[in-house]
Amino acid sequence: MSKNRIRNKLSGSKVSRRRFLQTAAVTTAAIAAPSIWTSARAERKIVMRDPGGPFTKGFGKAFYEPFKKETGITVVGLQGAHEPTGMIKAMVEAKNYTWDGSLLSKSSHQSLVNIGYLEPIAPKGGPGPNLSKIPESMRTEHLMGTDVYATLIAYRKDTMGKNPPKGWKDLWDTKGHPGVRAIRKHPFDTMEAALMADGVEPKDLYPIDFDRAFKSLDKIKKDVAIWWTGGAQTSQLLKTGEVDILFTWNGRAQVAIDDGAPVELVWNQALWTFEGWSILKGTPKADLVREFIEFCAQGEQQAKYTPYVAYGPTAPDAYQYVDKERAKVLPTNPAYLKNMVSVDTDFWGKNKEKASEMFNAWLLS
Amino acid sequence: MSISASTTEAPPRRARKSALLRYWPLYPAFLFLGFFFLYPVILLLGLSFVDNQGALTGEHYSRLVASSTYLKVLMITLKIAGWTTVIAILAGYPVAYLLATVKTSTRNRLIIWVLMPFWTSFLVRTFAWIVLLGRKGALNQWLEALGLVDQPVAMIFNFAGVMIGMVHALMPLCILTMLSVMENIDTNLTKAASTLGARGGQAFWRIYFPLSVPGIAAGGMLVFITALGFFITPALLGGARETMIVQVIIFNIQEVLNWGFAGAIAVLLLVAVLIIFYLYDRLLGLSTLSGESSLAAQSSSRANPFSRLGKFLGGLFIEAMASICEKAGAFYDHIFPRKANRPSRRHSRRVIWGAGLAIIGFLALPALFIIPVSFTEAGFLSWPPEGFSLKWYEGVFESNVWFRAALRSFIVAIFAAFLGMCIGVPAAFLLVRQSFLGKAAVFAFLVSPIIIPNIIIAVSLFYLYSKLGLTGTTVGLILGHTVLAIPYVVITVMAVLKNYDVRLDQAAWTLGASKLKTLWLVTFPLVRAGMIAAFMFAFIISFDELTIALFVTGGEVTTLPKQMWDDALLRVSPTLAAVATLLLLFMSGVILGSEFLRRRSKQMG
Repeated sequence: MSKNRIRNKLSGSKVSRRRFLQTAAVTTAAIAAPSIWTSARAERKIVMRDPGGPFTKGFGKAFYEPFKKETGITVVGLQGAHEPTGMIKAMVEAKNYTWDGSLLSKSSHQSLVNIGYLEPIAPKGGPGPNLSKIPESMRTEHLMGTDVYATLIAYRKDTMGKNPPKGWKDLWDTKGHPGVRAIRKHPFDTMEAALMADGVEPKDLYPIDFDRAFKSLDKIKKDVAIWWTGGAQTSQLLKTGEVDILFTWNGRAQVAIDDGAPVELVWNQALWTFEGWSILKGTPKADLVREFIEFCAQGEQQAKYTPYVAYGPTAPDAYQYVDKERAKVLPTNPAYLKNMVSVDTDFWGKNKEKASEMFNAWLLS
Repeated sequence: MSISASTTEAPPRRARKSALLRYWPLYPAFLFLGFFFLYPVILLLGLSFVDNQGALTGEHYSRLVASSTYLKVLMITLKIAGWTTVIAILAGYPVAYLLATVKTSTRNRLIIWVLMPFWTSFLVRTFAWIVLLGRKGALNQWLEALGLVDQPVAMIFNFAGVMIGMVHALMPLCILTMLSVMENIDTNLTKAASTLGARGGQAFWRIYFPLSVPGIAAGGMLVFITALGFFITPALLGGARETMIVQVIIFNIQEVLNWGFAGAIAVLLLVAVLIIFYLYDRLLGLSTLSGESSLAAQSSSRANPFSRLGKFLGGLFIEAMASICEKAGAFYDHIFPRKANRPSRRHSRRVIWGAGLAIIGFLALPALFIIPVSFTEAGFLSWPPEGFSLKWYEGVFESNVWFRAALRSFIVAIFAAFLGMCIGVPAAFLLVRQSFLGKAAVFAFLVSPIIIPNIIIAVSLFYLYSKLGLTGTTVGLILGHTVLAIPYVVITVMAVLKNYDVRLDQAAWTLGASKLKTLWLVTFPLVRAGMIAAFMFAFIISFDELTIALFVTGGEVTTLPKQMWDDALLRVSPTLAAVATLLLLFMSGVILGSEFLRRRSKQMG
């Protein structure tokens, strides 16, 4: 603790010198509106990048506020770019830690681990009591899973409810299940979906057979009305009925459902992976962030974000605290998880670039 | 064209020192862009020539050409930007012409509608199109209700959708640039042509149109290079094939962290645009933009066949249009013999009003659509609005985050636009009034910040700012946005100055006014409209910018686009419509208010 404090004081003084220079530079401008120039840095404070919106709200209730209460350490949740890996690379290389840690998807974290830009999340002595309870499949050396999310089929009950689709094959079966379709304009998930639609068993998915996947996609290409690129778009498409069936992240579809859209989710053979906290390599506040991560590994805390974000807590005891109704829509619900397929992020970490090139070529062919 | 007398006025050979002094207006732009743009960007693009170990390599470039995909995506990008430009010019011209030829008060009222797309953030605008034109959208609902179609018409999620979204977003740029040039065209010239017996169409094509060409050239160029950088609109409104090269660059920077390859793609884009610039210069002459003296243009046209071809084709086009109008007019007169003196003119005015208002309607449509949607009870942007509720407005006013974000965006945009003007205007003056070697290269450099994708500038600036301690600061954001503002200022101001008659300045000088006084009392008031347009473009560019804002501040500085984007993360809620509506009211209020004050001060004076 005391060591941390000293280090923070040291880094604090650095910050204030830098800020002094900035202040000197902005004096003229600052006269216009002095109150809005404040920067979010101070002592005993860590800055964590989160995706913003409901995440900031949910994580605030579950993690930031109670952690501050318990330890006195302020956690600032800052919203960063959609894929923050590029920014983290820049920050680590410039040794300029706007953020100390970040919420990363497992696949993004993999890209940064490959170049050695993340700190281990466990202290030197090994993971603490909370962290060690998180299942091995939901954490890595550099990432503590805070939530599990699923990619699954969502369909409109009003147009497709009579003969409801049950899996990936039905998404491809345009005659048996007529309706307007949307597919993701990205190889992630799309490759897995194409293979399972073609009859590949979940255990045989990886390594991805790209030839077979593209052949499977060929069958549906002309029937795809919309190629979606962002999650918010899918919520909108489902809600307005622009699309009858698509696959998206369960949280995105849930937003439409929560707003009253007649939408049903298909949990069978859904793909799951997780996202969680990571620490930027070399940040002077790494130990504080580790303390924070240990705190976030408690099921009781994780349960508190579920009203805001429909993703699944990773701590095994979390469901004791989750509202029963809400538990029905969370991916880590044991009833769903056993029929779901885990995404192989190691594979994607190595093949992302190649896959994207092939996918773009296929789209234009 | 007006004769650029300053070239003749300057003594043929000055001392080296005074030659250096002669180019002082370029120095602020060179220094600023050199430090905040060229230096950091070159460092980043330099990564495309080295491998992971830092050794020199051509691997990124050989990969680039090995797969035809990147060239294909580049061609698609150029095609989308090209068509956007053509449509924006064709549709924008009648509007600009209408605005230039109506009473000032009418014009100011109409301009508010033209500017509407500016005040609705790109995100809201794009989602508004989805709700309007989608399969279950408002337009298809009406068409089906009227029985005009059985099946919903696919208006978006294809090439047409991209065109609708992009033309809508960029046409105001084009209109205002053309307008600022047209405002300086002496209407007496057309009248003189009429008294000499030219029919309306003839007078227009032979007199008015050639004088408005600098506006078309500048507006088209602004639209074209801005369009190259668009990616959200094509991603949301396009189909499988509408992939922009910027999306591929962003993917390589953000997702696979292969910055060398991203740099190589950016260099490919830059080279492609420079080739287009070169051809444009050869064919039409950058002089359409930068106003070399017609004498110089002639002598250079003798030197290169391209330019002669361009001139020939241009002349042919005008000749053809004029004679078509002549024939059509004669034919029309033949069928409907003229009774009074000028009924045909009134008729053509009606056509221009009709076309102009229709296009203005298209520009204002999403904004007008957003207003009712902001009062819905539903949780999404949707049509028709469900019930009536003020809850989205309550949400906006509940916390001060929106207000603070808007205030900060205003401040950043005003400072960036002001700085951009201070740096860009002198450079534009020099580029128009002097002719010197390498002028085209200087011009290309000054506008290159909009050719290089924002994401590249953002990453580069982050490294630079880390050394300067400017990350996470509003000052850093202002400086970054100034880089983007300069090209808009340069192009717009150059277009206005092109038609400016330098003899007015000379008259003032001979009457004893100092150079500064002439500038202040003669030149600036005459190019006022262009200056305002330039400032407004610079303002808007900053006001709507997200990539650089996110990157150089790490999310610490909240601007309005960032707040909107944050809010739209999980769903595009009517909160955004409410914010857009408030912004629309506010900006329209500011314009109307300043107009009112201006008129009152005129009356009192």
